[in-house]
Amino acid sequence: MSTIPRQGKKALEPLRPEKATVVDVIRETHNIKSLRVVFDDEELMTSFTFQPGQVGQLGVMGAGESTFAIASPPSQREYIQFSVMKTGVVTTAIHELAVGDRVTVRAPMGNHFPVDRWQGKNVLVIGGGIGMAPLRSLFLHMMDHREEYGHLQLIYGARTPSDICYRDDCRDWKQCGDVDFITTIDTGNQDWEGRVGLVPAVLEEEEPSPENNIAVTCGPPVMIKFVLESLGKMGFRDEQIYTTLERRMKCGIGLCGRCNVGPRYVCTDGPVFSLKELGELPDEM
Amino acid sequence: MKFIASDRIDGLLERLGERGPVWAPREPEGAAGTVLFAPWRPGDAVELDRFTTLSAKKLVLPASEKLLSFSYSLTPEGEALDITGADQGRGDTVLFGARVCDARAFTVLDALLALPPGESYQDPGYRSRRRNLLVITLACTAGDAACFCSSWKEGTASTQGSDLMLYPAGEGYLARSVSPRGEELLALDIWEDSDLEPPELAVTDRVPFEALEAKLVGSLFSDLDFWRELTAKCVSCGYCTYTCPTCYCFDMYDEMSSSRDGERCRSWDACMFYLYTLETSGHNPRPTIAHRYRNRIGHKFSYYPANQGPVLCTGCGRCIRGCPVGLDIRDVLRAAGER
Ligand SMILES: Cc1cc2nc3c(=O)[nH]c(=O)nc-3n(C[C@H](O)[C@H](O)[C@H](O)COP(=O)(O)OP(=O)(O)OC[C@H]3O[C@@H](n4cnc5c(N)ncnc54)[C@H](O)[C@@H]3O)c2cc1C
Ligand code: SF4
Ligand code: SF4
Ligand code: FES
Repeated sequence: MSTIPRQGKKALEPLRPEKATVVDVIRETHNIKSLRVVFDDEELMTSFTFQPGQVGQLGVMGAGESTFAIASPPSQREYIQFSVMKTGVVTTAIHELAVGDRVTVRAPMGNHFPVDRWQGKNVLVIGGGIGMAPLRSLFLHMMDHREEYGHLQLIYGARTPSDICYRDDCRDWKQCGDVDFITTIDTGNQDWEGRVGLVPAVLEEEEPSPENNIAVTCGPPVMIKFVLESLGKMGFRDEQIYTTLERRMKCGIGLCGRCNVGPRYVCTDGPVFSLKELGELPDEM
Repeated sequence: MKFIASDRIDGLLERLGERGPVWAPREPEGAAGTVLFAPWRPGDAVELDRFTTLSAKKLVLPASEKLLSFSYSLTPEGEALDITGADQGRGDTVLFGARVCDARAFTVLDALLALPPGESYQDPGYRSRRRNLLVITLACTAGDAACFCSSWKEGTASTQGSDLMLYPAGEGYLARSVSPRGEELLALDIWEDSDLEPPELAVTDRVPFEALEAKLVGSLFSDLDFWRELTAKCVSCGYCTYTCPTCYCFDMYDEMSSSRDGERCRSWDACMFYLYTLETSGHNPRPTIAHRYRNRIGHKFSYYPANQGPVLCTGCGRCIRGCPVGLDIRDVLRAAGER
């Protein structure tokens, strides 16, 4: 299932990261920053490929490394973007980085959204909070290959207007007219022009048809829980629904033991699972 | 068969020492009563009658290990970062006096950590140590109350993971090579010829676990009360995982030796610890001891066999002998079988 190379240098020394340099830091919200990094090895940068949904281990030597979704699309060959919410030791060290600082990356890792299998289908993307990171990669990828998909809809929820990430992308998506983009916030203020209401409620108002549709959702666990309920009510079947799992991770390659859900390892078998696949796993969320 | 008298074992160990460091069961100084695999030097007494408290896994998976070193420096172009891998080059290490369950544990770990390139990730540290390990195994003519290796098909007769087998006989040991490297050892001029018969090997406790692979991801998984009852006395100390020859989970962390230099290391970790799976949000998918013990048994008797083939246990009994509250994995397996 996993697409991580098991041959070559990376397979032989899988815990050894590549050196990279920060080329841009974007403050998204009060606790989320996006970092754009470039491998020091130019050849590696040129040959680097991945699929939307794959993750990487971004690290600061001395603080450690952590798992983050790759937030840039595969077509972006200039840099690799991660969006990092500040929560603990490593993420704090990452938040202290400036342009020119040295980081480490092990990527790509894990499986990806099965975008090839979604060709010709409508895709409904539902994101909340930092869960937008892998969805940004996915959505930009689908827009790069716009003709391969049917109707594209993105519902993006945040707590307040200042919690919204990717403002430039949001503006583009709103303006391009080619996709149906809805932002919603939990509590509004006068200046807010988007929708107000929790993501599941907005989803139910929209009532997308499950016909030839794929739904992808990432975000806070409570949001996912209610989004899945709503999707079920609207007639989406489990094999039409995809989400990503999060687990505490260390090695990212199925060896350190901690990220399993029953017999499956989120780091190598995931992080992307269809609801059908999740249903076949023991309930250990 | 080849034979060596007990009083010539020291001579054998000295010859083995020519190939590299020798580890043998010993009663280390200051730890009277405890037998451990420890480096052997000429003159050290070897303890071949009692079982070791801890397994020999540290020879392939050290309790702590350096993975990388790194150093930051300032250059005219700005900050530079150097990363160097740990040196994996090393010669042979000899493990003398392993038991069948210890030797077999290596082959169980190989199924995950030393698959050929292309089939899995490589654990370079494990692989090089494993490749260079010579295992001389002492077959058991008696088990103790905690042993249950006879639950596996070959039981005490297994030669998996060994290079040379020793069988107690007369006033010494009969030797049989079970690998090309074992054959090399038999070519040493230290052996005598003998027509002694190999001994009757021990038969230990038998615990049926074949049926558990499916149950542990099915009915038994959802039965959290079952796990609660059985683990009521467990204190989540993690001893069972550290002493186990097949528990391999590890933690990774960085250690600075100055403001610019440091090392990335890994250490044994234990799935019985609350922090092991604690997520940054505060959510923990295995919040109670029952959840964690369920994972420990599930991993050993279902997930690992399903993914890697072998059961992740060799019946060595160490977790039974050492558990501070007397939790016996066999009771759990039997209760699970009956459920
Ligand atoms: C597949 C996947 C994709 C992800 N994608 C993203 C993403 O795109 N963006 C993003 O921001 N995040 C993402 N995450 C989450 C991210 O990996 C974590 O937020 C990050 O690892 C936190 O690291 P940290 O070092 O800052 O936290 P840590 O400092 O390691 O702490 C983690 C938590 O562990 C506990 N802890 C650790 N050590 C101790 C101790 N000694 N004592 C007590 N408690 C302790 C604490 O509760 C702490 O909150 C993803 C995770 C996964 C699995
Ligand atoms: S040794 Fe015993 S008490 Fe300690 S974690 Fe293992 S089963 Fe629990
Ligand atoms: S689980 Fe217990 S009996 Fe089985 S190999 Fe580990 S320590 Fe030995
Ligand atoms: S992160 Fe180490 S096994 Fe998945």
